[in-house]
Amino acid sequence: MIGNDIVDLALALKECNWKRKGFLDKIFTKKEQLCIIKSDNPENMVWNLWSRKEAAYKIFNRITGVRIYNPIQFECFDIDKSIGKVMNNGVLYYTKTEINLDYIHTVSVLNRTDFVSIKLLNRNIEIFKTEGIPYLKEANNEEINLISISNHGRFEKIVSLF
Amino acid sequence: MDKEATITKLKIIIKPFINNEEAFENLTETTDFITDLNINSANLVDIILDIEEVFAIDIDNQSMEKMLTIKAALEIIETKLSEK
Repeated sequence: MIGNDIVDLALALKECNWKRKGFLDKIFTKKEQLCIIKSDNPENMVWNLWSRKEAAYKIFNRITGVRIYNPIQFECFDIDKSIGKVMNNGVLYYTKTEINLDYIHTVSVLNRTDFVSIKLLNRNIEIFKTEGIPYLKEANNEEINLISISNHGRFEKIVSLF
Repeated sequence: MDKEATITKLKIIIKPFINNEEAFENLTETTDFITDLNINSANLVDIILDIEEVFAIDIDNQSMEKMLTIKAALEIIETKLSEK
């Protein structure tokens, strides 16, 4: 199982004022807020944590079929390590986050060992959807061909496990 | 406050965040903030904070979890207003 989330930093700056009173309290735990405040680049830390939460939520949504808006319940850990963690309701999700000047991209998996099997795909693949969940067109095996699509502003990432 | 008046106020709140004009024009109670109006999920927080301000209510985490459709927003607003 795989999920991913990308944040276009230029667009995030334009469309979201995270400094607004009450904003951080709604989506980040006290520990996460401390992490943001202490960061050299609080803006990036907001979207760094946000993309981890969203990537983990995408797996949660796929497994349970439940849609819910509770980012504060997806708490990030080990953000300074190469493999981070997100905990929700006793379930642990593993994350890898890429940060550059243009975007922040997080890929999440349930099994830590799956990170070696991640492939980045490009747009010219054929995608079909079953109940909102995207798959590769030439699917022989559902699990193997499951994909996760994320787009924001100028960027799109499609990932899969092979 | 009747439902129509609440919807009118709600539409003013959500308009700056929508990315699908047509879905907004044809808005009904079943309209979904994310899948229909294509609102960025981070901007849902702005909508929740604006609802708190405009209606002078406090939306706790448990209520916020359900805040995905117009119908859910209306129910939460109604419940919180009746508790005041």
